[in-house]
Amino acid sequence: MSAAAPKLGNPSAQNQNDVILKVRGLKKHFPINSGIVFQRQVGAVRAVDDVSFDVIRGETLGLVGESGCGKSTTGRTILQLYRPTAGTVEFEGRDLTSVKGEELRALRREMQIIFQDPFASLNPRMTVGSIVSEPLQIHNVKRGKELREYVESLLEKVGLNPFYINRYPHEFSGGQRQRIGIARALALNPKFIVCDEPISALDVSIQAQVVNLLEDLQEELGLTYLFIAHDLSMVRHICDRVAVMYLGKIVELAPTDELYDNPLHPYTQALLSAVPVPDPMVEENRQRILITGDLPSPANPPKGCNFNTRCPVRMDVCFRDPDPELIEVSPGHWVACHRVP
Amino acid sequence: MGVLMEVKNLVTRFQTQEGTIYAVNDVSYTLHEGETLGVVGESGSGKSVHALSIMGLIPMPPGKITNGEVWFQGRDLLKLSREEMRLVRGAEIAMIFQDPMTSLNPVLTVGTQITEALKLHLGMNNAQADNRAAELIDMVGIPDARKRLKNYPHQFSGGMRQRIMIAMALSCNPKLLIADEPTTALDVTIQAQIIELVKQLQKELKMAMIWITHDLGVVAGMADTIQVMYGGRIVERGPIKSVFGDPRNAYTLGLLTSLPRLDEGHNRQRLTQIEGSPPDMRVEPVGDSFAPRNPYRTERCWTETPPLRQAEGSVDGHMVAAWYDLRQARKQQQQQMEGKR
Repeated sequence: MSAAAPKLGNPSAQNQNDVILKVRGLKKHFPINSGIVFQRQVGAVRAVDDVSFDVIRGETLGLVGESGCGKSTTGRTILQLYRPTAGTVEFEGRDLTSVKGEELRALRREMQIIFQDPFASLNPRMTVGSIVSEPLQIHNVKRGKELREYVESLLEKVGLNPFYINRYPHEFSGGQRQRIGIARALALNPKFIVCDEPISALDVSIQAQVVNLLEDLQEELGLTYLFIAHDLSMVRHICDRVAVMYLGKIVELAPTDELYDNPLHPYTQALLSAVPVPDPMVEENRQRILITGDLPSPANPPKGCNFNTRCPVRMDVCFRDPDPELIEVSPGHWVACHRVP
Repeated sequence: MGVLMEVKNLVTRFQTQEGTIYAVNDVSYTLHEGETLGVVGESGSGKSVHALSIMGLIPMPPGKITNGEVWFQGRDLLKLSREEMRLVRGAEIAMIFQDPMTSLNPVLTVGTQITEALKLHLGMNNAQADNRAAELIDMVGIPDARKRLKNYPHQFSGGMRQRIMIAMALSCNPKLLIADEPTTALDVTIQAQIIELVKQLQKELKMAMIWITHDLGVVAGMADTIQVMYGGRIVERGPIKSVFGDPRNAYTLGLLTSLPRLDEGHNRQRLTQIEGSPPDMRVEPVGDSFAPRNPYRTERCWTETPPLRQAEGSVDGHMVAAWYDLRQARKQQQQQMEGKR
């Protein structure tokens, strides 16, 4: 994909200053090595394979897809937790892929991540206070009494009693732990947060609490979110725009309601029709588009269009021509499919 | 239709170092032949433990079924000896679990694992069992059945492994299939495939099914009856359309209103959240365990446990355990809101 890097057509965002993050041609290939002593590379898992998109300041961009589609890797590669194989990530006009060391560390204050598993992402031997204050100490922002007061105010902001500052993670429930993770992410006053499946490990009755908290914080602090998830109902609620990924590529990107009401890529259509709706009356009359088979291995993607092994409406051209490019079919609605003109 | 199973006053507890866990607290219900019962609840609601208790799969110690009867085909399953129960499990009642990787033995071929039950329960010889196993694999939609019998579990994808589990469960034509979150670990498109498969097989084999899940959407699409569990108790139960259309327990209502829906437009309204967190199962339940989180609670909810009884004005077997009348309470609340305006 050469010049097809999408220029996103959010009408209010024509001004380049409104783009906080610009991702172009991002690739992350993990090598597959063979041999015990003399290792040589025999292949690559193309986890993220040429992904381009913009994130607009103050919005929530959803990144959805099935497990193994590369959505989490995309999030981590953007934050340079993985170094990309190719492509650029411009954050407020600076290319993150070319900075390193102390400079990158300083830039990290602006971008944070909230992880999926609130049980694995908090060090069990650290108290809540030390978990939340660690980023502040690393970046040497606050110390002493000031630090403690600030941490207490953070805990309060995410709905935890500051009284708990000396407790350990195991003393909290899943929802409360996710709040601790959110407080940690907020500590350095970031502008941009990658939310990597922040609610999928939580109980249903707790999910709404955490989503409401994320939305309140966004409003209060003017945050921008990249919201990675597989729960398409929650994504519809929280996101302004949604990108659908399949096998390392974005297959469709559109404003939320446009994507849900008028999905154009056959994969998006199948994905949406597979989501159960908690209403027996609706379910009774629903026609599902079932796609057969499993996700192909990203180490060995199909020739032609990535989706041609499972696509219900594939044509000859889908096997013959290379993977279709992402094109803008209506303002802000991008699709990569040979079927869509 | 005839009664297939009757669970009466089932109580299951676990003795741990941290004290007693009150997992299942007085659960009673009737399951009819061919009925699909959806059991919904969060982690710790007792939904899985109640099923394991029926199957005699509770590790004892630390677990103990301290009270109750499970009548199945004229016998109380809880009174059967280990040997007798072994003949029921797999042959008359089969179970599939959430994680198909951990429920299959990684060092045996799937053929060996499927034929094991056929030889044990139906007394088949090797050739007969192989033929039947190939038929079953074919029935659950795995192509190339004969060849695939010689494969090991790791050679299959997650969805395929779940299909194998289903083939094993159905191998002896059970009268009841208990499915414990069978699609939770799967992607939505694969989940839709598995649900379609199970629905179709259930119709063909005319078996009853208990489908345990936390996903109200899955239940809405397949169950005849829904049973909502909270704190080890059934808090509401009834025909699927009655319960979804007119929930009578505040917890059910809370769950239904806290879920964003795929078929509803993107709006930035806050989700209705259920406050607080699920009950600590280490504390002996007193009163209605949802009372601390319930905006409609009455004084009585704190002290007395509400029995599961017919919902006010219901004719179709809609039952609820609540001291408050949710219809009345919501109406009053609405009037108050309007009055304030």
